[in-house]
Amino acid sequence: MQEAVAVQTPWYRASFKEWVLTTDHKKIAILYAVTSLVFFAVAGLMGMVIRLELTSPGMQYVSPDFYNYLLTGHGAVLLLWWAIAFWGAFTNFLIPLMIGARDVAFPRLNQLSYWFFFSASILVLITLIPSQNIKMMWTGYPPFSLHDGAGPTALYVFIIWLIAGSTLGTGVNFITTVLRMRAKGITLGGMNLMVHGLMASIVIQLLGVPAFVGAVTMLFLDKYIGTGFFNPAVGGDPILYQHLFWFYSHPAVYVMILPAFGVFSEVISTMSRKPIFGRKSMVIALWAIAILGFEVWAHHMFTSGMPDWLRIVMSYTTVLIAVPTGIKIFNWAATLHKGAIRFHTPMLFTLGGIFMFLIGGLTGIPLALPSFDIHVHDSHFVVGHFHYVLAMAVTFGAFSGAYFWYPKVTGRMFPEGLGKASFWLMLVGSNIFYFTQMMVGIAGMPRRYADYPAIPEWVKLNEIQTVGAFILAAGVLLTFVAWIRGLKGPRVERSPWGSPSLEWTTPSPPPPQNFDKLPVEVPPGWSPYHYGR
Amino acid sequence: MMETLLFVSGGPLAWAGGKTPVAYPAQFWDQIFNIWLVIAVVIYLLVALPMIYFMAKYRYRKGVNEVGAHEEGSLGIEILWTVVPLIIVIYLATQSFANYTQQRTAPADSLPVKVQGMMWAWSFEYPNGKKSINDLYVPVGKPVKLLLTSTDVVHAFHIPEAKTMEDAVPGRVTTMWFQFNKTGDFRAFCREYCGTLHSMMLATIKVVSQEEFDKWLQQPS
Repeated sequence: MQEAVAVQTPWYRASFKEWVLTTDHKKIAILYAVTSLVFFAVAGLMGMVIRLELTSPGMQYVSPDFYNYLLTGHGAVLLLWWAIAFWGAFTNFLIPLMIGARDVAFPRLNQLSYWFFFSASILVLITLIPSQNIKMMWTGYPPFSLHDGAGPTALYVFIIWLIAGSTLGTGVNFITTVLRMRAKGITLGGMNLMVHGLMASIVIQLLGVPAFVGAVTMLFLDKYIGTGFFNPAVGGDPILYQHLFWFYSHPAVYVMILPAFGVFSEVISTMSRKPIFGRKSMVIALWAIAILGFEVWAHHMFTSGMPDWLRIVMSYTTVLIAVPTGIKIFNWAATLHKGAIRFHTPMLFTLGGIFMFLIGGLTGIPLALPSFDIHVHDSHFVVGHFHYVLAMAVTFGAFSGAYFWYPKVTGRMFPEGLGKASFWLMLVGSNIFYFTQMMVGIAGMPRRYADYPAIPEWVKLNEIQTVGAFILAAGVLLTFVAWIRGLKGPRVERSPWGSPSLEWTTPSPPPPQNFDKLPVEVPPGWSPYHYGR
Repeated sequence: MMETLLFVSGGPLAWAGGKTPVAYPAQFWDQIFNIWLVIAVVIYLLVALPMIYFMAKYRYRKGVNEVGAHEEGSLGIEILWTVVPLIIVIYLATQSFANYTQQRTAPADSLPVKVQGMMWAWSFEYPNGKKSINDLYVPVGKPVKLLLTSTDVVHAFHIPEAKTMEDAVPGRVTTMWFQFNKTGDFRAFCREYCGTLHSMMLATIKVVSQEEFDKWLQQPS
């Protein structure tokens, strides 16, 4: 076997050539993280332009077509490049370390997966060229996406193909890694909840992405070859696309949130110095969400024209998801009981994330009820709800995790003051923003509107949202500053937060071979949450 | 802020007071909204208050509280918080089922109107063949059943006062119903993204008296 390039150099001394040719899971993780953060910033800025435009009725800053492009870009990029891809960085960095492995099962495949993702990123940048603006929203519903006004559908399809290549490669790789490369003594049930969260998310992707790829491939054939899968003009059915699309794209929200659940569990247990409450039910709940997630897709289609009986069936399956989700929230709350809680930055983001997920979850329940959805479907209520889940629970989870493992990745400590200030700004800003967004939705404002009639209540609620958005943006900016300044921060020991989990038993940053001694072995009865004894 | 809050819940509160809504079937939405809101607020408090209490009481204090207790779980309480939420959500879905049936079933004496969505306008056709563009004339106090379709892409017809909507899909006919109890002009919005002027695809619902409506219906289009 060919030796990977420059395996003896720690990542921060790697040359450009090593970055390009690396098969080291830790370097690939950093590549994912940096790519993801760049796109997070770009799509966040797109969101700010959208927010500015909506502050008052009328078109002030952009044309309706450019607005539609921004909306498409904001949605697609934040879902694929942030809420999914940023977890790719955690998957790569943490899974081998948490299970005591030297690297992943197929390092070359892992490298290929990243470069597929990188190629997709380049294609996304091409859409910035005005003639290549994609304006069909991230959902790409036909027949609109078959229409010339939607922009280059082919580009959208190619992006999805490349992303799918990356996702499927990562899926096969990490499932094999976790099944075959666990250190002696670590059982499947005994793995960190973070590994379970990431694994559940990967399994969903492996099962669901093919349906999505199939859907967009048929879209491609319809538009360029003239087939009639979705085109009603030649006997196709546009609703079929919606089914195929949501069959993956609903479970995809669990792809985004389950790793955040993993972070919440790791951080809340470590910072409370207590084992996670009801650990077995946490694992069961996690996998129950992953399985149930595939039975609920049509709740995105309660007003689509599909049969009413199917709407009722899907409403029952959807509300069931609230049960395992509730179990997780209750267990986190109970973990705090009789703890010794340290309010470091990662803990603040975790607690904030749980509170916001609680609101996101409680506002998700009525959307599972067709009699409620019939008025708020495609309104800003839906947008506010999923921003509570995605922009707050997922993003707070991602930030919490990034702050938590920052000392492990860099070997240095970030400035805590900046981290805490960032948290409070983000918490206040996003609540002002997204709560009013839900209110304007209940007041009737439709989503994906570049402009809206000057109804006084709508105008007022939109103005408040913009204020919140700027506070939120300032908070995010402080985190970027904290992470950059932290690179020159004080050096840290192996386990600055006092966690006994495997990744903390190795030096910070971990050496190229991951552990001091290989193979890694854990004593009988070992647990990553061994506190209070 | 309070004023805005009240505005948003204005409809639902009106239902609680037993008032007739501006348009049917809004009362069914108002009812499910109220039920959900009460349950959601109660659950929020039941989770958030203990969490805040624990955060204050069990905070790290040097020399006093440095290590947490070794508490791994409790079967009884875990079963409790599995079963109770299950009962609540099954109830909510069933209540929604009951309401939804009424929101979706047009009264037998409804006036049928054919609706066609197109980029970016609405056209309406009445039983006698009379057509209009972007203005939907309806008599006050009479249920109306819309038969929706589209000539190009997917659109959706939303009436905020009636709190109901349905997609207009090319190649299919979908239905929805409503009844206005007050005369005047009301807006209807396209709720499914349909391109450049999606946000301009508004129709006006002109609610007039039965006599006025009959007169209008007899005029040539």
